[in-house]
Amino acid sequence: MVTITSPGPATARRVRSARERADRRFSVALVLPAVVAVAVLFAYPLGYAVYLSLHRWNDKISPQHPYTGVHNYTDLARDPDFHAALTRTAYFSVITVLVGVGLALGIAILLSQQFRGRGIARVLLLVPWAVPPVVNGIMWHVIFDGSTGILNALLRGAGLISKNKQWLGTPHAAMNSLIFAEMWKLLPFLALLLIAALQGVPRDLYEAARVDGANAWKQFQHITVPNIRGALMFALIVQTMWSIKVFDTIYVLTGGSGGPAGGTTTINFFAYLTNFSYLDRGYGAAIAVVIMLLVIATTIFWLLLLGRPGRWRRKARGA
Amino acid sequence: MTNTLPGTARDTRRAAPQRPPRVGIRARRRGTTVIHRTLLTLVMIYFLAPFVWMLLYSVLPAHDLQQHNPDVKLSDLTFKTYRRLLTDSSFLHPMANSAIVAVATTLICMALGSCAAYVVARYRFRGRQPLLLAMMATQAIPAIVLAVPLFILLRTFGLYDTRQGLVITYVAFILPLVIWMMVGFFEDIPPSLDEAARVDGCNRWQILIRIAMPLAVTGLAATSIFAFITAWSDFFLAKILTADNSETLPVKTASFQGLFALDYNSAATAGVITTLPVLVLTMVAQKWIVRGLTEGAVKG
Repeated sequence: MVTITSPGPATARRVRSARERADRRFSVALVLPAVVAVAVLFAYPLGYAVYLSLHRWNDKISPQHPYTGVHNYTDLARDPDFHAALTRTAYFSVITVLVGVGLALGIAILLSQQFRGRGIARVLLLVPWAVPPVVNGIMWHVIFDGSTGILNALLRGAGLISKNKQWLGTPHAAMNSLIFAEMWKLLPFLALLLIAALQGVPRDLYEAARVDGANAWKQFQHITVPNIRGALMFALIVQTMWSIKVFDTIYVLTGGSGGPAGGTTTINFFAYLTNFSYLDRGYGAAIAVVIMLLVIATTIFWLLLLGRPGRWRRKARGA
Repeated sequence: MTNTLPGTARDTRRAAPQRPPRVGIRARRRGTTVIHRTLLTLVMIYFLAPFVWMLLYSVLPAHDLQQHNPDVKLSDLTFKTYRRLLTDSSFLHPMANSAIVAVATTLICMALGSCAAYVVARYRFRGRQPLLLAMMATQAIPAIVLAVPLFILLRTFGLYDTRQGLVITYVAFILPLVIWMMVGFFEDIPPSLDEAARVDGCNRWQILIRIAMPLAVTGLAATSIFAFITAWSDFFLAKILTADNSETLPVKTASFQGLFALDYNSAATAGVITTLPVLVLTMVAQKWIVRGLTEGAVKG
């Protein structure tokens, strides 16, 4: 399975082949355990998920699991609950990805300027990143609480509202509150990513542009953006994946309900409810497979839109 | 807070590149500095204030903070919620579960992952590129897809609601990430050092153990911390694959937050306790973490 071309200079053919064989033994011994572990733990459940999705498998209704072909998928295509969940995911994802990456870029530029305490500011940026998603949910639940939360107190104090708002009380408000809470957690990572990319942009490009009379916006457009394109694309792809998969914050903010009135039930949460509340494993597996396809499709979308695939590593090193 | 944020992005972009200090535009430059300072302060408040607020909830009685005008009275400072939780076995048990599961996951992932990553970084073999791609591709697969089959499988093998079952699951998700990160760290070590050791008569295993691993020690540390944090913070898989016996800290913490439960003191305290190890590790290793996190992206 594994053939090695030895990195060292080879003299005699016989010596080389002996060394090649030893190389091969060595690599197989080291790679195989990890590959087997991932293959078994990933490929097998993945295949099993597809298998499940082709069967009627509801632990609440019956112990029988008859094969039903693509029946679950055709049901899904007609399911208004699924459509609603899909729409909510689209709303959540478009905002968190586009506004998220945009704001992160702003924050990254802000933190890339020269100023005293820059190092500390960047370290403090790691605080939201370090907060586990569940804790993020709790934190914002405390803040959003309609009768005792600080958000209402602050807004009342500033004269922006006259009476308390129920931030988690209506489907629409809950969704927007969810987006706001999620943004706090996701921005630091994206910002750190873009800060690292900004550091790689040669300073003299800006000098040259200034000499040519380019204003700040022109410099941003023609120097900053093209030079951090790789990181921007990575940020968009990674955030899209995460947005489609959002779960923890929804669970905690809504007490595990995805409510009110299903207002925060995105497709991942819908899949969770189907599987573990309604115990409909077959249908749930079909939803999960669709989520996976959606993640793959959006990734391909970004790759086609923004760059060529296959040049993920080492490009910036000039290799 | 909401309204200042969109402005943040817009204004900083415009103010982005620093102007050289030239006479005549000094006033304008000072203006830019003021805007920069203001935005910076707002951004830092935005990122820190919510966490500080939760911290206050964990050490002050809720009625101080839930008034019409919240009142932070330092004289009311108390650690009694911490004392209550940290002496309660129904809280300590999940805490121990989390620690054991996260450490075990980290050790297994590092042992398997760093060896595999070394070979991928150093040797050219057929299937190397597909292997790297496959590791990346695992990240596109949402946990929910594997969660259902894993739930059924673990139940079949009697591993549902056990720490072992959870460790196995975490290894599946974290090992590819560990390999991916470690390949980057190993590639940063000049291969000439391996060659030199080989010339000096070291065999492949000796090179790996005596040369490569010590040289990659920062990478190993950063990746370990990353693996630990990922396992420690997980809620989704732990929620699905555990019940009373192997429940982890995030699951326990979330349980303080029922739909109508209003014990914010306990919830906030549990939240702070869950965050603390991650926060400390992150601060200790902040340089490496940032590098490890951004490596893949910045390189490509």
